[in-house]
Amino acid sequence: MASAPSGSRSGTPLETTPGGAAAQAPPLPAVGRNAIWAFIFRRLLLGALVLILVSIVIFLATQALPGDTARAILGRTATPASLAALREQLHLNRPLVVQYLIWAGGLLHGDAGQSMAAQEPVMKLIADRIVNSAFLVLCSGVISIPLSVLVGAYAALWRDKAFDVATSLTTLVFAALPEFVVGITLVILFATTVSQVLPAVSQIPPGGRPWEQPVVLILPTLTLVIAVTPYVARIMRASMIEVLESDYVELARLKGLAERIVILRHALPNALGPTFQVIALNLAYLAGGVIVVEYVFNYAGIGGALRDAVSNRDLPVIQALAMLIAGLYVVLNLLADIATILVTPRLRTRL
Amino acid sequence: MEDKSSRGPWDWHRPTTSRRELILGAGYLAGGLALGSVLAACGSSSSTSTSGTPKRGGNFRLGVTGGGAKDMIDGQNIVTKPDQARLVAGFETLLVYDEKYNLTTDGLAESVTQDAPDKWTIRLKQGITFHDGKTLSSDDLVYSFQRLFDPKQGLFGTAGLGSVDPNNITKMDTRTVRLNLKRADSTIGDQLGQYYNGIVPVGYTRSGPQNGTGPYKVQSFTPGQQSVHVRNPNYWRSGQPYFDQVTVIDFPDPAAQVNALLAGQLDAITDIPFGQVDVVKGHSGLAVLESPGGGWLPLCMAIDIEPFTDVRVRQAFRLMANRDQIVTQVLSGHGRVANDLYSPFDEAYASDLPQRHQDLAQAKSLLKAAGKDGMTVDLHTTDGAAGMVDVATIFAQQAKAAGVTVNVKNDPNYYGDQYLKLAFSVDFWGTRNYLPQVANGSIPTAPYNECHWPPSNSNYMSLYQQALGEVDKTKRIALKHEMQKLEYDQGGYIIPFFNDLVDAYSKKVNGFVASKGTLNLDSFGHGFRTIWFS
Repeated sequence: MASAPSGSRSGTPLETTPGGAAAQAPPLPAVGRNAIWAFIFRRLLLGALVLILVSIVIFLATQALPGDTARAILGRTATPASLAALREQLHLNRPLVVQYLIWAGGLLHGDAGQSMAAQEPVMKLIADRIVNSAFLVLCSGVISIPLSVLVGAYAALWRDKAFDVATSLTTLVFAALPEFVVGITLVILFATTVSQVLPAVSQIPPGGRPWEQPVVLILPTLTLVIAVTPYVARIMRASMIEVLESDYVELARLKGLAERIVILRHALPNALGPTFQVIALNLAYLAGGVIVVEYVFNYAGIGGALRDAVSNRDLPVIQALAMLIAGLYVVLNLLADIATILVTPRLRTRL
Repeated sequence: MEDKSSRGPWDWHRPTTSRRELILGAGYLAGGLALGSVLAACGSSSSTSTSGTPKRGGNFRLGVTGGGAKDMIDGQNIVTKPDQARLVAGFETLLVYDEKYNLTTDGLAESVTQDAPDKWTIRLKQGITFHDGKTLSSDDLVYSFQRLFDPKQGLFGTAGLGSVDPNNITKMDTRTVRLNLKRADSTIGDQLGQYYNGIVPVGYTRSGPQNGTGPYKVQSFTPGQQSVHVRNPNYWRSGQPYFDQVTVIDFPDPAAQVNALLAGQLDAITDIPFGQVDVVKGHSGLAVLESPGGGWLPLCMAIDIEPFTDVRVRQAFRLMANRDQIVTQVLSGHGRVANDLYSPFDEAYASDLPQRHQDLAQAKSLLKAAGKDGMTVDLHTTDGAAGMVDVATIFAQQAKAAGVTVNVKNDPNYYGDQYLKLAFSVDFWGTRNYLPQVANGSIPTAPYNECHWPPSNSNYMSLYQQALGEVDKTKRIALKHEMQKLEYDQGGYIIPFFNDLVDAYSKKVNGFVASKGTLNLDSFGHGFRTIWFS
């Protein structure tokens, strides 16, 4: 749950193919608009269903820890009295269904329970860290999405030319490198051995915010940008090439439209559809990949909290973070589907 | 390590105890102290060697691995390694170990005297104040002891002070307290020197204000992230401490910690990965502080479980180990070969017993005599502390040369219900002196007696009781030596090495001394008070 296998990043676009019959998006008819709302509603219901299923899986997975949960938490310090007290606190004496409902009900109210290790509410423990991680993902997304779309589109337009060949090679190399290799290489280049212009670790004082000292964000953001951009750029290039070779683009050119119009209004929107899917998967991946990067840079985000929770068997924290990351996947996929529909006339009209 | 559920690599270097009496200079009073060992004051002159004149100022930034959400600050407890650094910044003990692991009165006590085998008297130094300005008195001492004896607090030092009668602590005057013991115990002085037996003021609680006598006051603390400590302007040792501020920062990743040191974001770090020692040494602005530690990872043979009920099998296994190879492969050479005995800094450490070397021919013949040649055995281990799996794997390879098949079982639930009931297992221990270590791991009442030592027909227990009650140093050493001889000849431990503590710091920092002991970085520069920026 925490970090998606890297294979899932190159996920195939859902139910969309580049190109389509309609060369240009016509204004939405009233019926289409209602259809889109209906579609969003259906997807929201589906997303909620997925989250419920995920919460059941997370709950059962933590139940499946070998041995008695209370004993697992207390370890060798367990005394009969402390075991009994903890079982009571965790509602372990209640039926499984009741335990699940208590936990899930708490989540709905924003109460993720009490951390075992820190003896504090989980939300208090992770709230600042969520903000820090989210900001890191946001920075990486804001840079990597436009960058990858531009690089991909430009490479497609200048297919097999020097820029295309160079970026194809670089993106391939970068895509093959794990984040921690990228991160450590950047540290060697900019913070320790080669030069010392940037901080090697991103120390955010407790209570502080990452944007208060942006310099600590540079290397982690760069690492994530390097990790994500190649995938999106390569998909963008592929779908742009396919669109550029389509009949409707050729027709637009034959009609004598300016190349600029052809690319910006006809080719680009159609090529973006499948790219959105990849962007969504990559952003969701960032939420997991950020864990590795936070580790390398000692960045106080959810990655550190999750790592710590796992080593302490701090179940409430693990459950809360797993739900958070799962929720992010669902929401981003939903957004990607909606965006794809909106930019792809053929799909929009099919609703 | 009392609490094996919260183990980390740092646990290697944890508790120590020593039984070293010191008779310092003019403090020795001839009359009335014939029985006791005397720990008399030698003022505040620290034994730390320094270079140049210390300078005031700066923010000292320390990186420590092993922390997390369960970090705490408590004058008398720790659960993680950063807790150690935070404790010694704010709290102090009655006695203090010097860099040779000798107990001294360089702490809060002017003298600590064993008046009788079961009576100890503690006299405090004059004019020591807590952070809030209150003067340290015997009331605080009584409160500190009572808190240590309270089992509900779950404190680290409770086990070591088991011989003290909690209801029989006498306040003699405002600076003097007498401990009346339930039984003779010559190890009380050691316990008073343990860094986690800090002295706290009357009414102290973990959640209340962190009020100690130490060189720094806590300004802020976020578990798992960092703590900031500011200079105590009224500190009792004149001139000290030197930094305006100390920041202790948690690091989950040792490599990130090294990077932060290389980049100049930290001034010192604990426990550099062995692979990075040369990187740090190669950097002109950095230095490595390698201190001889007393931590050990034993392979434990339970002497009452087959196949180890036969002493010949135990001796054969001890002869199968190539200790030099284990030190090279597990510690990258950062340790010293051991001889199946623990507590290397103890006054009675039996260094005269011949060093065991690998002797496969002898091992094979012993096994043959026992009818166990070509035997197979499971060796249980876990990732509880760095090296525990490595040492098992390497031993299994070495055993193969003697025709013995050792199957290494790496079990994540090792410290569960099977722990201490296994025939053959790996465990780990920190630095301790001999008698306190015996109390923890080598007698039937010890919490972690992996080898089920001693044999029922042995006089080990009676030697132990005699040693605890013996106030004469020479006689006590002789008794402890006899105990070690028994373990050397018949015991269940295979102890391949004692590991070193390998830390690093910026050369801007002066005053660090490589010292024998429990804590990293010269006991964190004695609570960050004997180190300074140039």
